[in-house]
Amino acid sequence: MIPIIEIAKRALDGKPLIEKEYDMRVFSPRVRELVKEYGISYDPEVLVPSDDGLADAVFKAAFDLICDVGVYCKDTERIIAFEEKEVRNELKTSYDHAVLGEGMEQRALLPRKPDSKEKPWIFAGAGGVTVSDESIFMRLVENYAKRIPIANAITTPCLLSVDGATIRARSPLEIEGSIRTVVLGREALRRAGRPGLPIMNAIGTAESAIALASGLHPDFGLRKTDGYMIAELAELKTDLDLLNRAALLQSLNVPIAGIYGPIYGGFAGGAEGTAVTSAAFHIQGILTYGASWTLCFPIHIKYTSSSSPELIWLASLYAQAVSRNTKVPALYYNYTAAGPCTEMVLQEFASEFIAAISSGASIETGGVAKGKYFDYLSPIEPMFAAEVAYASAGVKRADANEIVKQIVPKFIDKVPDPPRGKRFQDSCDPVTGEPSKECFEIYDKVKKEVTDLGIEFLY
Amino acid sequence: MGNAIENLKQAVIDGDADAVSKFSAEALESGAAPLDILEKGISEGAKTVGEQFENMEIFLTELMLSGEAMMAGLDVVLPHIQAGDVPRKGKVVVGTVRGDIHEIGKNIFKSLLVANGFEVSDLGVDVPTSKFIEEAEKTNADIIAVSALMTSTLGGQKDVIDYLEQSGNRDKFIVMVGGGPTNQEWADEIRADGFAETAPEAVRVATQLIEKRRD
Repeated sequence: MIPIIEIAKRALDGKPLIEKEYDMRVFSPRVRELVKEYGISYDPEVLVPSDDGLADAVFKAAFDLICDVGVYCKDTERIIAFEEKEVRNELKTSYDHAVLGEGMEQRALLPRKPDSKEKPWIFAGAGGVTVSDESIFMRLVENYAKRIPIANAITTPCLLSVDGATIRARSPLEIEGSIRTVVLGREALRRAGRPGLPIMNAIGTAESAIALASGLHPDFGLRKTDGYMIAELAELKTDLDLLNRAALLQSLNVPIAGIYGPIYGGFAGGAEGTAVTSAAFHIQGILTYGASWTLCFPIHIKYTSSSSPELIWLASLYAQAVSRNTKVPALYYNYTAAGPCTEMVLQEFASEFIAAISSGASIETGGVAKGKYFDYLSPIEPMFAAEVAYASAGVKRADANEIVKQIVPKFIDKVPDPPRGKRFQDSCDPVTGEPSKECFEIYDKVKKEVTDLGIEFLY
Repeated sequence: MGNAIENLKQAVIDGDADAVSKFSAEALESGAAPLDILEKGISEGAKTVGEQFENMEIFLTELMLSGEAMMAGLDVVLPHIQAGDVPRKGKVVVGTVRGDIHEIGKNIFKSLLVANGFEVSDLGVDVPTSKFIEEAEKTNADIIAVSALMTSTLGGQKDVIDYLEQSGNRDKFIVMVGGGPTNQEWADEIRADGFAETAPEAVRVATQLIEKRRD
């Protein structure tokens, strides 16, 4: 692992460059050249490619990209550069697992391979979506833990407010919100009878490094076996606040994830360039943060969701590229266009997760309704998403392709104007968090559709 | 003359700033009316680029390069046009609120505004509330467009409106909000004048709001 002090030195002393120049005259043209050089081409007829050569080409292009353009530090306006030999060595000596959870819930998050029968890591929950009320937070987390027995880890919602005051970044409200997120999450898991489950988005409500540091105090219940995420910024960027988190978390010796949302249609260009950039982000996490797992969530620049065919293709190819060529476990996370208690949201989860799992990734159940609306959450969506992901282990890529191609037409026309679905308050019992009969009927209907296409659910 | 303007339009589409400067100068030398050069060359090219981006035929880099090329053309042509003759759609101050460093959505909006004939002051990211107002006053802007991408920074959009209301200047500017967690309900709650899900839609909303105000 490259010491964080060394990364900081490069961020402070590296080649100076205006950010716009990096985006438009360094990063973007190099991505385009590499896509051409390696002959990477999107085929709309194939959503889950089975071509190992194509996956390896994406990885080679990603490797070249990070060696050629480095990682940009926004605060210092300098390039954190890496030598080719150094990158190669870091990939050879990287972590190959992360141990998460306590007691009966302790498990190792391991890398997978395309077409593998190995069960994926199931990271289930709110996908970081915000809730307006602490009781909704509690009911949701309790229900995630109770209703998803195959979950290896939980992602809590974020809190909108504390004591009626809307949380503001860099204010004491953020500090208090971050601490409450931890305390409430741990208590909800205890109430659900699964106190050892790791909280993998610790600490969801913390936007700043100081809020993260505040919530980390052992009095509040976070453990070294929870998951700690550090964002990588679009595209191939970081900043000093994020490097500060890495410095803190590395000193605490906890499992760190590099998490990143490459933008389809942004500086990376189309599906091909975004696939290459996604794989380069995986390498960035290993190099800059010492990541022992990574999480990718590509976003469509126009729809801000991830279920469009181009994104399913690029996510599949990214997962294949990094799972075939590195040892660091890769997770895929999605943003559905549709909201809770709709058929479309479950169809989006099915198509994206069948593609990702067959391609070698594990998953975090994503943000529904684009993660955009407060309280648009229910336990049904992560429950279904976890089940379909678990059931997709062992599905060959070629078969996954045929299945996904039959699901996508069911919702694709609605992506530009998707149904928002229902709020927790309108779809679940406020006291128990039990989803409504309507939610369960939709769940049963889509589960049958997916079963009929050849996915064998565990239960 | 026709060829020069056609070449100019294509250079804007290609995002080639040097060629745009060259063809703008050539068109002027050949006797083309400056307003024609602006409308039939630069603006037409920019319009095509905006449509291509909306149809996902081109991506962000191409959009921004065309924006730069268009600005290069304006530098050559505008000195030959009398103030008041230029049919600008309006002036917009854009920026991302204090505490928030996300800017890609804001940059797309800015590029599309330029492509659609608006004048834009881009304040960048992590912008203090007072800076939005100060810049709007200084440039005599029509619109203040405030971006936020995090739930915990959304309040910065409300701050701009609160600040304008408290200072008795609310009616001087149209305030638009946008970014990941924003939605129409939030825009209504904080009394914003406009909101849009996407950058192209935001340009349409900006156009409509300015037209409505001028009626």
